[in-house]
Amino acid sequence: MIGYLIQRLLTVAGILVVMSLLVFGITQVMPGSVAHMILGEFATNDQIAALEQTLGLNDPWHVQYWRWASGFLVGDFGQSLTMQRPIAPLILDALGRSAALAGLSFGFVAVIGLWLGILGAVKAGRFTDHALAIGQYFFIAVPEFFWCIVLIMLFATTLGWLPATGYAPMSDGFWRWLSHMVLPVGTLVTGLIAHVSRLTRSAMLEVLQSTYVSAARAKGLPERTVLWRHALPNALLPAITVLAVDVGILFGGIVVVEVVFAYPGLGRMIVYAIENKDLPLMQAGVLIVTAIYTMANLVADLLYAWANPRIRYGRSVA
Amino acid sequence: MSAPAGQDQGGAPLLDVHGLTVEYATGRGNLRAVDGASFAIAPGRALGIVGESGSGKSTVAMTLLDLLGPEAGMSAERFTFEGEDLLDPVAARRKALRGHRIAMVFQDPGSALNPAIQVGRQIAEPLIRHRGMTQTQAAARVQELLAEVGIPRPADVAAAYPHQLSGGMKQRALIATALGCEPRLMVLDEPTTALDVTIEAQILDLLEQLRGKHDLSILFVSHNLGVIERVCDDVCVLYAGRVVEQGAAAQVFAAPAHPYTRGLLGSLPRPSAQRLSRLTPIPGRLPDLTRAPAGCIFAERCEHAEAGCGKPQEPRALADGRTVRCWKAEAIAAGAPPTQAMAEAPPDAGPAAAGAPGTTDAGALIAVDAVGKTFRLGGMLAGLRFDFSGGFPLRTDPPKVRAVDGVSLRVRPGEVVGLVGESGCGKSTLGRLILRLIEPSDGRIAIDGHDVTGASVAALRPVRRLAQMVFQNPDSSLNPRQTIGQIVRRPLELFGIARGAEAQAKVVELLGMVRLAPEYAQRYPHQLSGGEKQRVSIARALATSPKFIVLDEATSALDVSVQAAILNLLADLRDRLGVAYLLISHDLSVIAHLADRVAVMYRGAVVEEGPSAQVLAPPYHPYTEALLSAVPVVGLKDRAAQRVRLKGALIGGGAVRGCRFADRCPRRIGPICDTETPPVVEPAPGHRIACHLPLEALRAVPPVFGAAAPHA
Amino acid sequence: MSGAPASPPTSPAANGTANGAANGALRRRRLPRQLVIGGTIVGAIVLLAILAPWIAPYSYDAFDIPNRLKGPSAANWLGTDEFGRDVLSRVMVGAGLSLSMGFGATAISLAFGVPLGLMAAYFRGLAEEAIMRTIDVLISVPPIMLGLLVLAVSDPSLWKTMLAVGIIYVPIMTRLSRSVALGLMEEEFIQAARARGAGARWILFHELLPNAWPPIIVESSLRVTFAILLASALSFLGLGPQPPSSDWGLMIAEARQFLDDAPWIAMGPGIALCVLLIGINLVGDGLREVLDPRLKKRGAA
Repeated sequence: MIGYLIQRLLTVAGILVVMSLLVFGITQVMPGSVAHMILGEFATNDQIAALEQTLGLNDPWHVQYWRWASGFLVGDFGQSLTMQRPIAPLILDALGRSAALAGLSFGFVAVIGLWLGILGAVKAGRFTDHALAIGQYFFIAVPEFFWCIVLIMLFATTLGWLPATGYAPMSDGFWRWLSHMVLPVGTLVTGLIAHVSRLTRSAMLEVLQSTYVSAARAKGLPERTVLWRHALPNALLPAITVLAVDVGILFGGIVVVEVVFAYPGLGRMIVYAIENKDLPLMQAGVLIVTAIYTMANLVADLLYAWANPRIRYGRSVA
Repeated sequence: MSAPAGQDQGGAPLLDVHGLTVEYATGRGNLRAVDGASFAIAPGRALGIVGESGSGKSTVAMTLLDLLGPEAGMSAERFTFEGEDLLDPVAARRKALRGHRIAMVFQDPGSALNPAIQVGRQIAEPLIRHRGMTQTQAAARVQELLAEVGIPRPADVAAAYPHQLSGGMKQRALIATALGCEPRLMVLDEPTTALDVTIEAQILDLLEQLRGKHDLSILFVSHNLGVIERVCDDVCVLYAGRVVEQGAAAQVFAAPAHPYTRGLLGSLPRPSAQRLSRLTPIPGRLPDLTRAPAGCIFAERCEHAEAGCGKPQEPRALADGRTVRCWKAEAIAAGAPPTQAMAEAPPDAGPAAAGAPGTTDAGALIAVDAVGKTFRLGGMLAGLRFDFSGGFPLRTDPPKVRAVDGVSLRVRPGEVVGLVGESGCGKSTLGRLILRLIEPSDGRIAIDGHDVTGASVAALRPVRRLAQMVFQNPDSSLNPRQTIGQIVRRPLELFGIARGAEAQAKVVELLGMVRLAPEYAQRYPHQLSGGEKQRVSIARALATSPKFIVLDEATSALDVSVQAAILNLLADLRDRLGVAYLLISHDLSVIAHLADRVAVMYRGAVVEEGPSAQVLAPPYHPYTEALLSAVPVVGLKDRAAQRVRLKGALIGGGAVRGCRFADRCPRRIGPICDTETPPVVEPAPGHRIACHLPLEALRAVPPVFGAAAPHA
Repeated sequence: MSGAPASPPTSPAANGTANGAANGALRRRRLPRQLVIGGTIVGAIVLLAILAPWIAPYSYDAFDIPNRLKGPSAANWLGTDEFGRDVLSRVMVGAGLSLSMGFGATAISLAFGVPLGLMAAYFRGLAEEAIMRTIDVLISVPPIMLGLLVLAVSDPSLWKTMLAVGIIYVPIMTRLSRSVALGLMEEEFIQAARARGAGARWILFHELLPNAWPPIIVESSLRVTFAILLASALSFLGLGPQPPSSDWGLMIAEARQFLDDAPWIAMGPGIALCVLLIGINLVGDGLREVLDPRLKKRGAA
């Protein structure tokens, strides 16, 4: 178990180093120099050269990389080119708002998705199962960027129940905050719930076919016990893996949703940085998101190991 | 339906089943998996249900516990247990019997225990459910139960998760679970099939002992006739979903009255020193059960079939109390018992028997010298651990397994060498090492004088032509995307033996050698039966006219009646072509049937080696003796009186000091067994035993198979 | 065992005498319903995309300012957009873009992923470590971030989106084909080929690959769906084909300003996208039913 943990941590560290190199490399291949971007099109060559000197852009790439990466380690993410402000606090704010969106969505997906998956497996072949299957087919196929438009048209434009876009901080009151969260979260969860419930259903069905479930039935245990005590814990193992994969999909959805709902989160900030060629901001954003995603995967792996007696407990007692 | 199925033991039967039928709806009509089966079990009796794959025997067991899915259509004229109707429309009443008064033990202990729950809690569940015990009471009772089924440290085992236990331990735990509520009837579905033969013997002993103590009735499902004879009073032979013969086990096995029962018994190889010259396999294959013939279901495979067999056959009672589904039963029962068709000792026990068996290299086709193989387990960081005893605290110590440990072996041209041992003993690894499918860690291997140990791929090519392999699993040993013709043809092209029309002709010839019609060349593997696939594997191996073939459990996945045909084929090919075999098997009967010489492997090393007749008779290595006395053999039930049993299970891996068998040896002499490597004694030229016991003591051991075995 | 209903739970150890033959005969020949329905949907869309230049009522980029933002009518079945362009014609032409991005990206991921995976499984050792550790890194980046990164480097276009999405799915294809190949390497027919001294090329292409296809095809159909979703999300964000292209993602992005007055501009491409994705998903499920590797595995167990 310790070997496993160390191996995983080393991998995570390796991934972050490689990713930071990759992200940093982009500055090197980007057409046009950073100094050029800061000073605008009418800058003279002298001005550019001077700025390049001050920014250290003439240093060898590994010196520049080290300067940038070591800043990261102590929380200095550099200056935003377009906003002329330190990046760290900007990102921290945006990150908090994105986290609220992601956390809320992920909670719904985990709870509802697993529950619907189990329901489908238990009712396999019956009406409930078929109804769920049709819903899953539909919601897996609807892209977030279209689904949120449909939701806005329905609940904001036509019914006028909810605000179409924007964000209200919690300090403006819980209900106001919540009303701005409903549509973004609603957009994000539908597809993922469909995905999670579908895969949970098949995992559960497979477990229900196993000999130990037959053996539990042969012991005369009530079906409820067979289901919840014998089948579910074993079906949850593959579900953990599915949920981890879905975190990645969720991130993609968050970017789109934040753009459409004008939600001031990290995703929108990265898209803004790309559109405005604000390199330092983009680098920091991408690196932070990658780090979070890698951590989420690490947590999923550890959870898996912990939930699996084969990994948690060694071998051979008798 | 006629014929009451219950044995006349007096009193009402515990379980009474009449006209049990199970059907499945398929795309091509109804498949009748069980057709009108009737049987009964009197209190305290054990009924065996025996049959090959597809006979419906497990389906019968599942119906008793209501474990068939909703897709199975079940009906019966009568189905009672202790006078209660098991077909009660109220499902709750049916279910109340499960686990309480009827308990079940499944085939594969590895998958019948829930991997996510501690063993003790799983055993406690029915106690809490049916006996109303509290958690604490149940936990105490679990310890008693585990002790009763012979588990040495009950508390540890109760707290363990299933993956921490060996197969035999798991099966004991499952038996403890079944015993918990003191059921009247225990249903065992192939409970020892997944276990090694020495563990199987332990479990069968345990069952025998429990049965006497608890007055248990038993329904025992198995494909293994020997096991059935050992455990059961009565037997019920199932073929294609029909009960073809039932009656007292002793009668049925001594004088089978149905041609199918006769066929099964005639197909069995025996591990005795005397060799049957030929087995009598059952030709053909199971009929399509969605289009069952109107007449006798066995007629198309039956050697006694005649015009009268076209009529539907109903079970009818014979004078001796048996029920048989054959109108010619009396005549067949009166015939010579198939098991007594014992031949004289084989006229020539292979060409090699003539030559003086010895250690000399002269003329050896395969020479294996002190070959070893160590496997490293896990990935690069698998062995990482903390160690604060000094030095850098982080150490890597990858777990290793010594699968083969210094084995030397000779195979002479045209000789059949049997390699026998339990799972994990390294016999398959050795087979693959010889063909260099795996790189040996140490030692030297020569094929026909060519050293192959360090040979390059190019240098190996001519040798590859000489040495071929046939694998265990007929379903995975043929590429499913190629036709049989392509499969057999490929080695011909690869070695430039034949091309074009010539290759075509050669393929037909090869198929003919394994008795397959030329049309088979156009078929795909999934269109063939298991036995036919194995024939194709043999044809493919023969394509390069090899001098040597490794047969790695080549018949283990087959039913006995099919296995018999393959064993006959292998014997014929050896006689005709003079090809040598290394016959790897866990089944001593198969080895004894075909091999000229036998090597017995235990934990990576050969503990005994010699001509078959000598290995199968005293003096034995204690492990050989234990193996022989563990094999259940039909007609040798009496042997049980003097059987030797092994403690525990084979533990693989690690380096060994002293004798590798010491911890399980029933004839252990003392500390010397743990510290000193045993010397090799040679009771006869070419017969070697690695044991500390003096030769006189080994010679004094009585033969396992009665006095019949001749002294070599 | 395949043909599950044909093999009732007899002895699970049954490696039947007759099973092989019975199963061969019982193997279901009828195509699954999902495959037929999904195939029809996808086929129809592919056909529309190919024929669009000839059968589309208008050109996809022909302005008709007087008729801008008109609702569905006999002349413009799906209405017109802010420049008076016919939405139906644009959707028909856009189908080709979505399809080529989805299938093109999947083809790219197959072209790189499958050989890498097979090589890792066959050669093991250092080659495997190198390939798989690289894959570990790539797979640890959220797909959308990798896409944004690649597209941030240069000006967006259809080809770049396709390439970016294709690269994103290379790790998944590599992992899948490696694990399939590793499983097959244990199969005895591969061992048999090695025992007779067959070369690496023969084993990889004649023994391994034909048997590795089924699970790879099933996974690919799933990947096409995700590729189309990701590619159209990227073009929705402005990182795909540029105006006046009629890519569906881009069309929906442009329609956002006119949601109150002309919702049909978004509905046309949006619904088309959903229908296409449902169709592809149905095909994937149908293929899985026909080719399911696990059904085969059970037979070999």
